Amino acid sequence: MAAPAPLRATSLRNLNLLLRTAPRFVQNQFRRQQSTTSASSSVNPEEVSHFNALASTWWDPHGSSRLLHLMNPLRHDFIRTCHASQPDAPLRSGLKYLDIGCGGGIFAESAARLGSTGSVTAIDPSSEVLAVAKGHARRDPGLKDKLTYLNTSIEGLPLLTSAEEQYDLLSLFEVIEHITHPAEFLDKCTPFVKPGGWIVMSTIARTWMSWFTTKLVAEDLARIVPRGTHDWEKYINEEELRAHFLRERGWNSPRVMGVVYVPGLGWKEVSSSERVGNYFFGIRKDF
Amino acid sequence: MAQALRFRQLGVYVCHSCSRTLRRQRRSYATTVQTPDIYDVVCVGGGPAGLSLLAALRSSPTTVNLKVALVESQDLSKTRPFSLPPTQFSNRCSSLTPSSLRFLDSIGAWKHVQRDRVQAYQEMQVWDGVTGARIEFDWPAEKAGTTIAYMNENLNLTSGLLKRIDEMGGVDMLDNQRVEDIVFGEESEDVDLSSWPVVKLSGGRELAARLLVGADGANSPVRAFAGIGSKGWDYDRHGVVATLELEGSGWGGEEVKTAYQRFLPTGPVAMLPMPGNYATLVWSTTPALATHLKTLSPRDFISMVNAAFRLSPVDLAYLHTQASGQTEEVAWRTQHTGFDAQRIPQLVVGVQEGSVASFPLKLRHANTYIGERVALVGDAAHTIHPLAGQGLNQGQGDVESLVKTIEYSVNHGQDIGVQMSLESYNADRYAANHILLGVCDKLHKLYAAESGPLVPLRSIGLRAVNALSPLKHFMMSQAAGTGVKIL
Repeated sequence: MAAPAPLRATSLRNLNLLLRTAPRFVQNQFRRQQSTTSASSSVNPEEVSHFNALASTWWDPHGSSRLLHLMNPLRHDFIRTCHASQPDAPLRSGLKYLDIGCGGGIFAESAARLGSTGSVTAIDPSSEVLAVAKGHARRDPGLKDKLTYLNTSIEGLPLLTSAEEQYDLLSLFEVIEHITHPAEFLDKCTPFVKPGGWIVMSTIARTWMSWFTTKLVAEDLARIVPRGTHDWEKYINEEELRAHFLRERGWNSPRVMGVVYVPGLGWKEVSSSERVGNYFFGIRKDF
Repeated sequence: MAQALRFRQLGVYVCHSCSRTLRRQRRSYATTVQTPDIYDVVCVGGGPAGLSLLAALRSSPTTVNLKVALVESQDLSKTRPFSLPPTQFSNRCSSLTPSSLRFLDSIGAWKHVQRDRVQAYQEMQVWDGVTGARIEFDWPAEKAGTTIAYMNENLNLTSGLLKRIDEMGGVDMLDNQRVEDIVFGEESEDVDLSSWPVVKLSGGRELAARLLVGADGANSPVRAFAGIGSKGWDYDRHGVVATLELEGSGWGGEEVKTAYQRFLPTGPVAMLPMPGNYATLVWSTTPALATHLKTLSPRDFISMVNAAFRLSPVDLAYLHTQASGQTEEVAWRTQHTGFDAQRIPQLVVGVQEGSVASFPLKLRHANTYIGERVALVGDAAHTIHPLAGQGLNQGQGDVESLVKTIEYSVNHGQDIGVQMSLESYNADRYAANHILLGVCDKLHKLYAAESGPLVPLRSIGLRAVNALSPLKHFMMSQAAGTGVKIL
């Protein structure tokens, strides 16, 4: 592993840019996009090429995705708290998952292994990343019948009409911050969720702290995450997500869990930390 | 064999390169026919650690759906119906700490152990054979009668664990079979088992393991397969064991039993209480003296054991030079040695026939307990000096921790075999075991000195500890595994 480098010129430039422009983004980041957008895909080509380059190290437990591997158990813990908050008992078996932006399949594989899972459909626009996911899934013969990978974006999936086809849980882990027009993208996701089902996501709040930890420390100084992984300007705050879904109507019971990575201890839930850094967000579709 | 012969015969008629091709074809044919059975957990080794692991995995609702197998070279049908008359005890006994006992109870195994063959003890007498400095481990009044540990025959425990496993079912028991080889699996069109260990058994079966657990002892084949090295040394000492009969059931009767340990320059000698008038001996000494002890007549052996807790190291050294006649020598010398009879074990009056045996003492510590799809538990991970009676308990602690780690993985959809999933097991156990290994090693070395500056110092140490009740009770709680967790 490379030794931490001293503060580089680019980091200083980033800092400089931030100081000049930060206040503006807080106002206009989550505005609804005009429906006149020409591109029909939610996928940003630059993001795809970045993750293509990452593909080979996705499953290296000491590689650049280590933090994601360590975070994965918390995703299941959060989903459990969402299900536990329902007034009606959650399904104990046969749950259908749709994992969007599955990457190398860290979450998709783990979801497929759970006893309560019926099936997992996992999609990603990067064919190289998906090839890594498929190759890795072959290492576990238990996944064969439960996990399906599709190389597509959300727009490529056939629209679902009946509740039988729809999913109990749609997951967007570390995805929304890589999307250029997040509100439009979320609108495309919602028809895939069964009434009473959940959208569960995780992302990073757009704050001074998150810029410091994810851009400056993680990418530039400690280099535990490859440079260019994050685009701070695309980060979304929890109250923006909450407002979006509740404005849309048809959604209830929003839940949030802030998490902090503590070196040596791993990811820990820290209440109210959703305002400063990484957080999980879950919301339930009305019946 | 037959196949090899055929090839040799063929060699006369077929050129070398062709016969090599023939052999290669034959091999690939064999692998396509033999596809390994796929398991979640394959445990190699059916000792206390391996059996506890399987019993724990089967009794936990989280892990009950895992497909598990046990591989053991011995015939387990001989272990299951363990039954000896109440006047006979197996010479291989271990102390179980209350913490191990709680774990065994939680997995439903303790109720299958023959309780009338288990002896709790409440006090310890530990003293220096050179200076006579002593610690008396007795509890303060409010905790009087608290058990420090339980003496139990290893066979009683393994038999109880087997009964528990049989009661629950669901474990493929592949006993009476040797591990012929462990290799990596193969890649086929729909599955890639190239990171999965495949265990080949002498009976012909092949088991592919999502997680291969090495509970296969100090010379662990699983550890060798995983390429995990181990560090340590031989003590140049043997542990002599025997089942002894005493003149009574102990100074405190059946109610308060005491464990005795005396540090001699050749190593510690310990006498641990068993039910009734019985006790088990663990005498660590040089290989030559161990051999000498084993050649003695029962009458002389008994006298030597009595002498080991009474006479001076100089007397003992002389007695070891005699081929026989220790009984008379010891009787004469004992008259001229002053000691407090109540603070040493009661006189030994008998030794169970065929129970005198010895084994070499070692310290070994694997460099890590985990690899990709491999975890080590018990003696495969660490071998400790028996002076603190912690070996078997460390193994139980390993198993409890590994099962917790597996449960967490199952609950969070992680592959239970990958190294990342096993990290918490290694982190939980490695440092704790390492400190205990080090403490026992240092104690052994400290008391191996017969003279020199260490001798008065260690006596000051023992006397000081003896005078400081809180420290003493802290140490007792640690020995019992019930104290504040310091590791």
